Amino acid sequence: MHPPVEARTCLIVDDSRIIRKVARRIVEELGFEVDEAGDGAEALAYCATAMPEVILLDWNMPVMDGLTFLRRLRSQPGGDQPKVLFCTIETEVDRIKEALDAGADEYVMKPFDGEILESKLAEAGVV
Amino acid sequence: MTPENLHHLQSLLVSRTGFLLAADRAHLAEHRLAPVARREGYAGVDALMDAVRAEPPAALAWSAMEAVLNPETWFRRDRAPFTTFASEVLPAIAGVRPEGRVRIWSAGCAAGQEAYSLAMPALEDQTNVEIVATDLSQRALEKARTGIFTQFEVQRGLSARRLLNWFDQSEDMWEAKPRLRSAITFSRANLLDEPPPGGRFDVIFCRYVLSDMAPERRARALDVLEQALADDGCLFLGLDETAGERPDSFRPVPGRPGVFVKSPAALRRAA
Repeated sequence: MHPPVEARTCLIVDDSRIIRKVARRIVEELGFEVDEAGDGAEALAYCATAMPEVILLDWNMPVMDGLTFLRRLRSQPGGDQPKVLFCTIETEVDRIKEALDAGADEYVMKPFDGEILESKLAEAGVV
Repeated sequence: MTPENLHHLQSLLVSRTGFLLAADRAHLAEHRLAPVARREGYAGVDALMDAVRAEPPAALAWSAMEAVLNPETWFRRDRAPFTTFASEVLPAIAGVRPEGRVRIWSAGCAAGQEAYSLAMPALEDQTNVEIVATDLSQRALEKARTGIFTQFEVQRGLSARRLLNWFDQSEDMWEAKPRLRSAITFSRANLLDEPPPGGRFDVIFCRYVLSDMAPERRARALDVLEQALADDGCLFLGLDETAGERPDSFRPVPGRPGVFVKSPAALRRAA
């Protein structure tokens, strides 16, 4: 039995509609099917239904921040599967360490462009 | 830029550096020369080039040429060649050298990302390496020696783990740690002259340098690379680059894009 071939999926979690739009354009060009969530709680609800292959995750968001989302995701069944890339304006070394220790696969400091995002997705082993 | 000045710039570049400035890239050259003109106190690019033409090539001409060359680069460009280097070439050569010492040349190193990308895996694996990195541009070398890169630069090709392991944050810049910086010797050299001193190299990275050169200059550079490479060494070119002008010098390694070894003819010459 072969699993059905499905489009690769990417969930973009950011409270800024503009950032989501920019990121969406980049990852769609890389061949991903994209969904969006406006905060960590929304993203968690999404993942409970279907785990995306890749998650681009903002840090500071209302309702539930990115780090809290990541910790909850990783403790869920199947929550170790998605590759998670933080995409945030947080650039302190301690913050980057905290994110990696919580299970982030890569860390992107804003602002980023298509080249940087593609490079980071490659480091995470998804493209 | 006037046609006379453009022509002078083109002939300076090709004779001194081998770099072929195509007419359709004149705009880019002019854009890069504008800050040099401002810095040196000229009214504009043409005034700068008039001054360059008035004298035999000296410091001013080199400043102008450096500005035009100014190549963009990034860490672990194309990724695959750096993986081949770290996981295959480096251990294989270290295994057959006295004290496992491997000599590496980053030829045309620009701001140093390539050399740092070679040093990191070598230091991580505790391989005994000597890395020489050369470029024509003094300004690029000055930046390379500081090991200081912008947030944009460190995110092109570096993983977050490597960034934390090998760089210190200073304000919004990232600075290579002293141990990483001290693994590399940066110096000015022209690929059309002699190879750097100290003996032949086991690995040479010369990526995206030859493709910008005039064909007869490229042939000269390939001669220098052949002379500089150990008989069992590896040459890494850019992914779309070939040693076409010197098929007797190098042959591509099948299945490893951009990787070349000496051809049988070159080995006979060396013997």
